[in-house]
Amino acid sequence: MGRDEVRVWGGILAVALLGVLFVPFSEWALGVTYDHTLRTVALGGAVLGVVSGVLGSFAVLRRESLIGDALAHAALPGVGVAFLLAGRELSVLLIGAGVASWLGVYVIHLLTSRTRLKQDVAMGVVLAAWFAAGIALLTYIQARPDASQAGLSSFIFGQAAAMVERDVQLISAVGGAAFVVLLAFWKEFKLITFDVEFAAANGFPVVLLRLVLSTLIVVAIVLGLQLAGVILMVGLLIAPGVAARQWTHHLGQMAALAGVMGAFAGGVGAILSAVDRKLPTGPMIVIVAALLVFASLAFAPGRGLVWAMLRQRADQKRYAARHVLADLYKYASDHGGASSGVPDAFVRGVRGGEAPIGLAKLQRDGLIQASGTHWTLTREGIRAAEQAERSGQGGDDGRT
Amino acid sequence: MGALEDLFVRLLLLFATPEAINPVLSDPRTVAVLLGALIAVCGGVLGVYLLLRGMALTSDAISHTVLLGIVVAFLVMTGLLGLPPDLSSPLLIVGAAAAGVLTVVLTELIERSGLVKQDAALGLVFPLLFAVAVILVSRYVDNVHIDTDSVLVGEIGMAWANTNSHCLEHCEAVTITPDDPRAVLTRQCVNCRALNISPRDPRAEFREVCANCGMYTPAQAYQAGLTSAAPTLVFWPKSLTVMGLLTLVTLGFVLLLYKELKLSTFDAALAAALGFRPGMLHYALMVLVSLVAVGAFDAVGSILVVAFFIIPPAAAYLLTDRLGVMLLLSPVIGAAGAYWGYDLARGSVFGLVEMSDVLAALNRALGTQLIERWDSSISASMALMMFVLFVAALVISPRYGLVSVSLRRAAMRQQFDDQVILAHLYRHEGAAEAADELAVATLHEHLRWPRGRMQRVLLRLRAWGWIQVEAGIAHLTPQGRQQVEAFREAHLLQT
Repeated sequence: MGRDEVRVWGGILAVALLGVLFVPFSEWALGVTYDHTLRTVALGGAVLGVVSGVLGSFAVLRRESLIGDALAHAALPGVGVAFLLAGRELSVLLIGAGVASWLGVYVIHLLTSRTRLKQDVAMGVVLAAWFAAGIALLTYIQARPDASQAGLSSFIFGQAAAMVERDVQLISAVGGAAFVVLLAFWKEFKLITFDVEFAAANGFPVVLLRLVLSTLIVVAIVLGLQLAGVILMVGLLIAPGVAARQWTHHLGQMAALAGVMGAFAGGVGAILSAVDRKLPTGPMIVIVAALLVFASLAFAPGRGLVWAMLRQRADQKRYAARHVLADLYKYASDHGGASSGVPDAFVRGVRGGEAPIGLAKLQRDGLIQASGTHWTLTREGIRAAEQAERSGQGGDDGRT
Repeated sequence: MGALEDLFVRLLLLFATPEAINPVLSDPRTVAVLLGALIAVCGGVLGVYLLLRGMALTSDAISHTVLLGIVVAFLVMTGLLGLPPDLSSPLLIVGAAAAGVLTVVLTELIERSGLVKQDAALGLVFPLLFAVAVILVSRYVDNVHIDTDSVLVGEIGMAWANTNSHCLEHCEAVTITPDDPRAVLTRQCVNCRALNISPRDPRAEFREVCANCGMYTPAQAYQAGLTSAAPTLVFWPKSLTVMGLLTLVTLGFVLLLYKELKLSTFDAALAAALGFRPGMLHYALMVLVSLVAVGAFDAVGSILVVAFFIIPPAAAYLLTDRLGVMLLLSPVIGAAGAYWGYDLARGSVFGLVEMSDVLAALNRALGTQLIERWDSSISASMALMMFVLFVAALVISPRYGLVSVSLRRAAMRQQFDDQVILAHLYRHEGAAEAADELAVATLHEHLRWPRGRMQRVLLRLRAWGWIQVEAGIAHLTPQGRQQVEAFREAHLLQT
């Protein structure tokens, strides 16, 4: 295992450990009590996070992040039809949601491949039309005189508190099945994710594989509807993938890290929402996931914005030092030898904003020393300046 | 707003009398369709530019995040400024527009870091902002009318009931003071109760009280008989004002900046080079989208407004290549969807099929127990009807429709087949292997075609008189030879 690999697996372990440690921490610091409901919801959130994190990685890599949004909205009419046909049985409602959402995938695919519409427009059309159909159906259903339809609209915003142990088992079982399919077609999915043309040229059934992969994403969305609702599901689906993408260039590592981060977001978000009765679960999960993304964007090794900023500042100092050193050396050589003093006002006048940065760095590195209002090159300084001049890096890079 | 409403009413009065206007404006159907059509015009026009700029889903994101703007502005208004809760305050509109722009700016910031692709950036930003909004609503906003239903569906069906009255004639507001001759004065005993005596008692003290003093609006004054002529009133639905204003702004924006928008949409680099500030236009467009999203919030809800932004432009895009035509078609499709959508919500599909019949048939066929009265969300039905029109455009569009494309493909395939056979005959005719190569019975094997395809092609070619078959061998007729030579010439094939 290379160093990078060790680092990623270490990161995965660290996130998992943080998630586990959060349980005693929340009990101690936030005063959360772990009753049966909270345990179920937190566990459900974590399991769901794993499923959607891993599958969402593929959506992120295939630049189809918003398909999660479209498909989650598209699930709604399926819930309505399933309710009308079979009544309020969760697994039936979820199957209905899956069918509607899968139809949405198919139509998006059809519109993109058979017409001049771009994918984003196709997704928007399906999203709006399917969601409208869902709302129309739910409004019609709500006119029923009995109360059997109560709570159907919880699919829109999610209603975590209604989660029971059986739901967690369902999520685990279906999610596990999705993972089996994912592992069985790992190589194929990898191929169509990174190089569709190559896959097609080698005779892989690209269209079919793409549909299977989309179906898996539909599965993740449908499982998450109850917890996060159709609107926020897209956040839970892609945020872990985006965060994980920052830490590694390997698909396997990315998927694993996204799974762990999804679990962290799902579990911690659910626990945090128990701090106050008025905090809804779905949005809390999305916020935790978004925080993971921002942390990753800032601190991921190599790519992170913080490192990039530090690197830029270091570069700025280095260049300033190099330019100022050349100025000093040239002035000193022209005015009586390399070791003679150079007036401070000259350097600042010639170099402007770079002067203080460069002088500070040179002084810290022991290449120059101050004597009153003058700067003198030390012996190391003279040697460094000569070397720089020989290698052609001095001063204004070829202007003199 | 009041002055603007007055203006709208006066404009309307140029064409009709108040007696004619009032029944129209108090008809739920007319007002809902009118409001839907106004939203469709705004959404349809702006949506065209979003679609062409590859930002169709930005309207989805913005329509979600305006909720954050509304909630934050609401909290600032009630919490910090101590104003009374008022959901029609302009502050909310400012907040919503700010939230819309914030969405776009945040997305672009994340995208510009180079670490996240555009779609993922959008998919990160708007669920986050929406989540914050939902948390703020459920934690800090109680007993206020920002509930889930109004977020989702809006209340376009009730728009007719929420009106401002505008007085046109006999607008005499009356104020009656105790000195007024019309004042009805009565005497009231001041100390009867305290002393427990009857008003007839000599100790009783009286004071004069005015029974009908106060301010009367023109309508109240007429009812109370204080004025002789009935005031002429126009009842103007409030939501029409907002959407009417937005429609004017949108149309003005597009008409005034048509050239600039066109250029920056199709060639942003050239627009920038010519000094048109495409960045400014971009953000102006985003502000308008946010304003329309929040203006339509009351009527159609924050999510369904997406349908008004995406579906009609997509349908128009399938019908034409010209920006101007697209800008006309898109609002028309949207407005037509709004018109038929209202009927759909009340159970009638294009006035041809009744939903109740369909449901009854379903009950009979499947043995289900569906309620046979179809009464559904108006805004959702409008969106559905737009989708129906989209599907119609998808199927029958003369240039890009499924029918015409497959017809054209079939024609091209036929032409190709014909040319292949003609060329095959041309090449092998008169040569030594002709008897083998050109036997009709085995021709399909040489080209590895299915037998049926070959038979169809041969039949067609014979019908046109380009080939003839003698003794089982196919020959080119002179016309057929001409065809091949014309083809070779047209495609500059060397012999």
